[in-house]
Amino acid sequence: MKLEDATRYTEKCFNGEPASCSYACPFHLDIRSFLEKVSRGRWVPAYKVLRNAVIFPGIVSVLCDEPCREHCQRTLLGDEALAMLDLEAACIKYAKNTKPEFFAIPPKSERVAVIGAGVSGLACALNLAQKKYSVTVFEKESGWGGKLPNGERLSSHPRFADFDQDIALQFSAVDVEFRYGTEIKSLTELADFDAIYIATGKGGDSFGLLASWDAEMFTTSEPKVFMGGTLCGVSKMEGIAHSVQASKIMEAFLQTGKASLVNAQVYDKKNCERYLKHDGAVSVPRVIASSPDGYTEEEAKKEAARCLLCDCDYCIASCEMLQKFRKKPHKIAVEVATDMQVTGNLASRALTRQTYSCNLCGHCKSVCPEDVDIGALLQSSRTARKNAGGESYPAAFHDFWLREMDFAVSEGFLAATPNGKNECEYAFFPGCQLGAFNPDYVLKSYEFLSSKYDCGILLNCCGAPAYWAGDESLLNENMEKIKQAWNEMGQPTLVFACATCESIFNMFLPEIKRVSLYALLAEEEGISSIRPYDEAVVFDPCNARNNHGLETGVRKLATEAGISLHELKEPNRCCGYGGHIRLANSSLYEEIAQHRAEASDKPYIVYCVNCQDVFARRGKECSHILDLVFDLKKGLKVPTLDQKRANSVEVKKILMKKECGIDFEPETHEWDGLKLLISDEMQKDMENKLISAADLKEAIWQAESSGYKFYNESEGLFMCSMIKPVITYWVQYKEIAPQTYEIVSVYCHRIHFKEEVKQP
Amino acid sequence: MSTGEKNWKCAKCDKQLVLKNTDFFYLGHKFTYDVLNCPQCGKVLIPKELAEGRMAELEEALEDK
Ligand code: SF4
Ligand code: SF4
Ligand code: SF4
Repeated sequence: MKLEDATRYTEKCFNGEPASCSYACPFHLDIRSFLEKVSRGRWVPAYKVLRNAVIFPGIVSVLCDEPCREHCQRTLLGDEALAMLDLEAACIKYAKNTKPEFFAIPPKSERVAVIGAGVSGLACALNLAQKKYSVTVFEKESGWGGKLPNGERLSSHPRFADFDQDIALQFSAVDVEFRYGTEIKSLTELADFDAIYIATGKGGDSFGLLASWDAEMFTTSEPKVFMGGTLCGVSKMEGIAHSVQASKIMEAFLQTGKASLVNAQVYDKKNCERYLKHDGAVSVPRVIASSPDGYTEEEAKKEAARCLLCDCDYCIASCEMLQKFRKKPHKIAVEVATDMQVTGNLASRALTRQTYSCNLCGHCKSVCPEDVDIGALLQSSRTARKNAGGESYPAAFHDFWLREMDFAVSEGFLAATPNGKNECEYAFFPGCQLGAFNPDYVLKSYEFLSSKYDCGILLNCCGAPAYWAGDESLLNENMEKIKQAWNEMGQPTLVFACATCESIFNMFLPEIKRVSLYALLAEEEGISSIRPYDEAVVFDPCNARNNHGLETGVRKLATEAGISLHELKEPNRCCGYGGHIRLANSSLYEEIAQHRAEASDKPYIVYCVNCQDVFARRGKECSHILDLVFDLKKGLKVPTLDQKRANSVEVKKILMKKECGIDFEPETHEWDGLKLLISDEMQKDMENKLISAADLKEAIWQAESSGYKFYNESEGLFMCSMIKPVITYWVQYKEIAPQTYEIVSVYCHRIHFKEEVKQP
Repeated sequence: MSTGEKNWKCAKCDKQLVLKNTDFFYLGHKFTYDVLNCPQCGKVLIPKELAEGRMAELEEALEDK
């Protein structure tokens, strides 16, 4: 993926960017960093941050009218904004070393003239002198200063002595020639200079260039003449900030002959409105100084500590995956791009594990003030990696579910219209897992739908496993197949029982009309009869986010059953199943599943069988909404992989017979007749490793019929392997009776080995 | 239950297994390791301890790239 294609996903992320207050500050002082240092009494580092931004801290800390405070997010909590000027003054007072830095760079030959020794002109002069340009300041008055906004000279200000001291301090490490009492009447007098900055103050002489002034670049129609400060109609503080920016542009001009922003940064003022939610932040009143001389050190630290250090990390703070990988959104985007720039199969990828550890649940987007969707970024990374293919593609992460999908779209597939008709108005699309978990979920629902609507059946996988694996062509192929069946059925409205199926259709087959089974059930008065709990929480699956019909339908059904419902603090969190991360990151999967199970101590009402599977496995009390409607919760255990397969076959058999009058004959294998003895503990181990009994039968059959197996005489054990393209399986077993085997140990690995088997 | 590696024989050839330098591959990487195999037919045996121990660690390390 190209860098810009990846970074487009995260371009609006403002993590690490200055806070709203800093955008309002004319100098874009990094207020967060400044206050963090002040709060810890780190006066010298705090002073450096302040000095580098405002140039003349002793002046700015007195004259600034604090526009930052209007955009202080503390005020959102009803508090007064941080007392910036008092804190700046305290910082200057308590910083022991305020000597300016001396830059050991060789002097440059280019000469710069600055017209006007107000604070603007001086700021430009100081910055360029620090870069070792030869700077001369021309001032018609006898000293520096310029005017106050009220027209009086700055030198009349009661704090002028402090200002004068600040100027002396800031210029103490540079060489600048000051020519006071020298009025420049025409720019031709300065023909020898390589660049000129006009900062003659409000109403001052612009040498006829004001009309040609460019507010972004500070240029004029004369190539080497720049202009800024109150002369151009801005405030004194903005004037200083202008001059800082202008000095950087002039530096580029002196280096390259062209004014440019290469050394400068442009801030978007609009960002001063970019606020965070601050949920859970507590109100703290402003610290009032105990003496008229300003804050004591302790008072200043306490006041600075009120800063909320506003920086967005909402997605990271609330997503286990982002927390685990500790990468900022921008960094993830860059890595997604570099990941795909790796060439050749032998090269390693940058972020394999993270790419496949995302639940693709949309939670980050839902909490992001800018709707940044990191899941979509990682989804596109999966697609790009699948398309790139090669040996470095980690096929093992998704192989299991792709094989499940393969069954659902072939053997498990059924498209049938009701009562021998050619077309139907509705068709039930239960998805591949509903019937696998409990055949009655599909059969009873279909019975209900058939009694009320002209409704057919479409058994298939929606393609989520292909989507999550990044396999576009497999996904499209399945979509084509579904579309064809749907057309042949007369384009019925599809009835969904799974929010994931519904969202996949919404994305890839939006032309198909959709309705949720639960919304249709909720239209029936008093349909849900069973009340497994007095109180419960509805656990909304991640893919039901923004699907309000679905969410309200389920709540209506649960309430009607007499359950008093509570809401989770965070709705639509993924149970852990989303994105099929379980094989790519099993510890993260377990952690997420456990967090979700613990999100409430009340039982859950779920309406996604995958959520149900995740919770039931962990012993979390939960019921599917269909249990309530059709009275189906009768001590049902989570079915094994083999039972799920058998359930799916059963559902198809019954429905095919019902609607087509045909007896479905599922595929048979030579190994089907083998009998396996599997202990409960072994069964659990197999479920964890996602190994089915059918896989073991196949392996044993191969070994027994070919004779290629190992024998452990002392323990009477056999062992064999079954090498599949992605995974190699091993099974140790005992032969108990003909075609009957006790399974002793089962394991698998993803690494392949080279085996050259010779006929003995 | 002990699955001591030495006790395994190839059932097809009735031979004691021997260690042999074997090539392994994963995610475009290649490496070699000594594992048991039948000296006659060449069938390879990967014990559980190896599969769920060192091999699993290696899989993880390569996938983590
Ligand atoms: S008081 Fe002025 S200089 Fe200081 S942070 Fe606020 S706006 Fe910036
Ligand atoms: S709380 Fe701190 S970081 Fe946030 S806006 Fe106010 S001063 Fe800026
Ligand atoms: S929520 Fe995440 S992606 Fe969005 S702005 Fe905040 S840190 Fe960036």
